[in-house]
Amino acid sequence: MSDLSHPLSASTFRPAATEAPWLRITLTIAVVAILGVLLFAPLIAVFYEALREGVGASLATLANPESQSAIRLTLLVAAFAVPLNAVFGVASAWLITKYSFCGKAILITLIDIPFSVSPVVAGLCIVLTFGANSLAGSWLVAHGMPVVFAVPGIVMASMFVTFPFVARELIPVMVEQGRAAEEAALTLGASGWRVFFTVTLPNIRWALLYGVLLCNARAMGEFGAVAVVSGKIRGLTATMPITVEMLYNEYASVAAFTLAAVLALLALVTLAFKTLLEWRYADQLAATHRH
Amino acid sequence: MRQPFVHKSPIPGLGLSAGITLSMLSLMVLLPIAGLLVQGFSAGIPAFLAAVNTPRTWAALYLSFRLSLVAALFNLVFGLALAWVLVRYRFPFRKVLNAAVDLPFALPTAVAGIALTALYAPNGAFGHIAKDWGFKIAYTQWGILIALIFVGLPFVTRTVQPVIEEIAREVEEASATLGATRAYTLRRVIWPMLAPAALTGFALSLARAVGEYGSVIFIAGNIPLKTEIAPLLIVIKLEEYNEPGAAAIGIAMLVMSFGMLFVINAAQVLSRKRMSNV
Amino acid sequence: MQIEIDDISKEFGTTAALTPVSLSIPSGALVALLGPSGSGKTTLLRILGGLEFPTAGRVLFDSTDATRLTVQERRAGFVFQSYALFAHMTVFENIAYGLRARPRAMRPPAAEIARRVTNLLDLIQLPDIGARYPSQLSGGQRQRVALARALAIEPRMLLLDEPFGALDARVRKDLRQGLRDIHDTTGLTTIFVTHDQDEAMELADLVVVMSMGCIEQVGRPQDIRARPASAFVRDFIGA
Repeated sequence: MSDLSHPLSASTFRPAATEAPWLRITLTIAVVAILGVLLFAPLIAVFYEALREGVGASLATLANPESQSAIRLTLLVAAFAVPLNAVFGVASAWLITKYSFCGKAILITLIDIPFSVSPVVAGLCIVLTFGANSLAGSWLVAHGMPVVFAVPGIVMASMFVTFPFVARELIPVMVEQGRAAEEAALTLGASGWRVFFTVTLPNIRWALLYGVLLCNARAMGEFGAVAVVSGKIRGLTATMPITVEMLYNEYASVAAFTLAAVLALLALVTLAFKTLLEWRYADQLAATHRH
Repeated sequence: MRQPFVHKSPIPGLGLSAGITLSMLSLMVLLPIAGLLVQGFSAGIPAFLAAVNTPRTWAALYLSFRLSLVAALFNLVFGLALAWVLVRYRFPFRKVLNAAVDLPFALPTAVAGIALTALYAPNGAFGHIAKDWGFKIAYTQWGILIALIFVGLPFVTRTVQPVIEEIAREVEEASATLGATRAYTLRRVIWPMLAPAALTGFALSLARAVGEYGSVIFIAGNIPLKTEIAPLLIVIKLEEYNEPGAAAIGIAMLVMSFGMLFVINAAQVLSRKRMSNV
Repeated sequence: MQIEIDDISKEFGTTAALTPVSLSIPSGALVALLGPSGSGKTTLLRILGGLEFPTAGRVLFDSTDATRLTVQERRAGFVFQSYALFAHMTVFENIAYGLRARPRAMRPPAAEIARRVTNLLDLIQLPDIGARYPSQLSGGQRQRVALARALAIEPRMLLLDEPFGALDARVRKDLRQGLRDIHDTTGLTTIFVTHDQDEAMELADLVVVMSMGCIEQVGRPQDIRARPASAFVRDFIGA
C-alpha cells in the first residue's frame, strides 16, 4: 500500500510483506511463460490442427457417420450417468449431513475411492465383475443384457470415475448449512419430500449445479475406463474420446482433431460456467471454491 | 455394510437415503473392486505373484511411478510459484489465468494426448526445436513426463492457494519487525504454513499421474520395458484375454493408489492439528 | 530514545489518513495515541514502525533522520493487534525468532539466546510455557508472549497496536499493570494505540488525542482532563 507517484516514495521503500520488484516481475513472467507452454499451447494446437484444411473441411468431418454416432453415444451416456450420480450425490450427502452415526469417516473414504483409482483399473474392475467370464456377467449375457462391450458398461464405467463428484460438492455445503432449516420446516408440518424440495434443494442448488457440471465434463471426456470396457466397437460403443483415438490412429488427422476440438470447447464452456458460479455464488459453494 | 448405531432423528428419509447410498456404493464401487480382487487371486497367491513378477511388469510399474514422481516434484515447485503469483501479485489477465489453471481437470485426456503429441512430435511446434538441438521429446520418456506434468498441474496450486490467502499479513510484518530478511521470513514462517497443503497437492498430483492413461499413450511410444506405462500393460493383457494377469497388475496399482491416499489423509490430519487459528 | 515526528502526512489513494502532524516524544515516555477508529492513530504507529511509508514528512530518532530506514533496520519492537504469533513455532521459538534471524555475525550463541528467552519469560511472568504452542495459550498469555518476542530484539522503542483490545475486562486490568511494570523496568520509549480513554488516561505519561487524521491535543492526562483543547476532546474524554 505505498504510493509510487509522490516524490518522497523512493525505490528504497517496500512494504514489509512483499518481495523485491525485480523478483516479482521475473517470477511472474517465468510462471506465465511456463503456463503458456504447458497449458495454452496444447489447447491452441487442438484448434490449429483441426482447422488445418480450413473451417469447411473441419465441419464436414463432423458429418461423418462415425463422428455422428460418437456424439450421440457420448450424449446418451452422459444423460444416464450424470443424473444417476447426482441422485447418489444428493442421497449420500443427505445421509451424511442430516444424521449422526458411527462410521461416517469410513463411508466418506469409500465414496472417495474412485478418485484415487486409475481409470484403466476402474474399467478393468467392471470387465472382471460384469464381463462374460464372471458370475454376474455370464448371467446377464445369457439374459440378453450384456454390460461389457455394450452401452450399459460404458455408463457404469463413466459413473464409477465420476462417482464422488456431486457428493463432494454437496457435503461441505450441507454441513455448513446445518439441519436447522429442515427441522424448522418439519415443526411447521411439512412432509419429508416437501422439506426436501422447498427447503433443502433451493439451498444447495448452486453447489449441486457445480457438481453436476464437473461430473458431466468428466463423464463426457472419460477415456481410459471406457477404452477398457467398450471394446471400441465402431458405431456401437465408440464414444467421442474413443473415436478421437481411432481416427488419430488411422491418420484421419483433421477428423480426429475436429472431434477433439468439440470436446475442448465443451471443456472451455465448463470452465466458464464453473468460474461464473464461483464468482456469483461463492457463499453457496464449498469453501475451497471461494476466492 | 451395516451402520452399527444411528441416533434417532426426526428428519425423515433415513431409510431412503441410506438405501440409495449403500446400494449404489456397493454396486458401482465395492462390487467391481471385489471382482478385481477375486479375479486377481483366483488362481492363488503364487500365480498372482508370478503374474506381477515379470521384467515387463516391473519395468512398467517402475516407469509409471518414477516419471510420476518427477512430474509431481516439478508440479510441486511450479505449483507453489504459480499459487504465490496468482494470489499475491497483480498483473493483466490474472483472473483469466487463474481460471485457466483448471484446464487439465476439464479437458478430456485423449484430447490432451493428441494435442501434446502434435506439439512435441519431431515435426511439431516444440518438437522440431528439440530436433534441431539433437534430441527427441515425443515417443520418449520426456514425452511421457510432459504429459504427466500437464495432468497434475492444477493440484498443488489449488490446494495451496487457499492457504496463502489465509496468511495474515501481520505475521509477515511481525517477522520483518523482528529483523528477519524477506528470504528468512519466506523460509521460516511462510513455507511451514504452506507445507502440509503442498504435500497434499504433491500426493494428489502423484496419484493422478501414476494412473494416467489417455494423455500418455499417444505421446509415449509404448515400447515394452522402455516407454510402456503400467495402465497400458493392463490393456494389453486384457486384449490377450489374460484376465488374471491384468487383474494382478491392477491390484498392484490399486495398492499404490491406496498408499498415496493414506499419505494424503495423514498430511491433512497433521496440518489440522498444528495450525489452529492463533 | 527521543522521537520526533515532523509534518508527517499519509494518503491512501485519495483518502487522507493523516493530515500533516507533528509530535515530540521524550525519551522513555509511555505514550498513548488515543482516538476513535479512522483517526489515523494506527497509521501513525505503523509509520513509526516502518510498516507504512509517509506521503510527506520526516521521522527522527534521537535527531537522526530515520524516514528511509527499512523495517528491519529500525529495531522497533511491534506488538500487533492480533499478536501475529507464529502458530507453527513454540513459545520459546517465537521469542527467540528475532535473535535467530540475525545474520551469523551478529547472532548470539544458542546458550545466550536460551538465557535471554528464559529471562523474558520470567519478565512476563510465564516461566513454564516455553514448550507450548500459541494455540494452547489464552488470549492474555498470547499478548504477553508477543510482548516478550518484541522485547527479545532489544528494541529502541516499543510500539503496541490496541494491545488490550481482544481481551476481557479482568485480564485487561492485569495486563495494563504488566505493561506499566515492563515499561518502568526497561525504560523504553513506549507508544500504544487505543480507543479506550480510561486506559489511556490511567496508563500513559503523555496522551495524544487524535481525530480524523489530526492531533487534537497532546499533554499529560490530568492536563487534558482539566483543560480540553476542543469540543471533540472534551466529549471524547468525558464520555
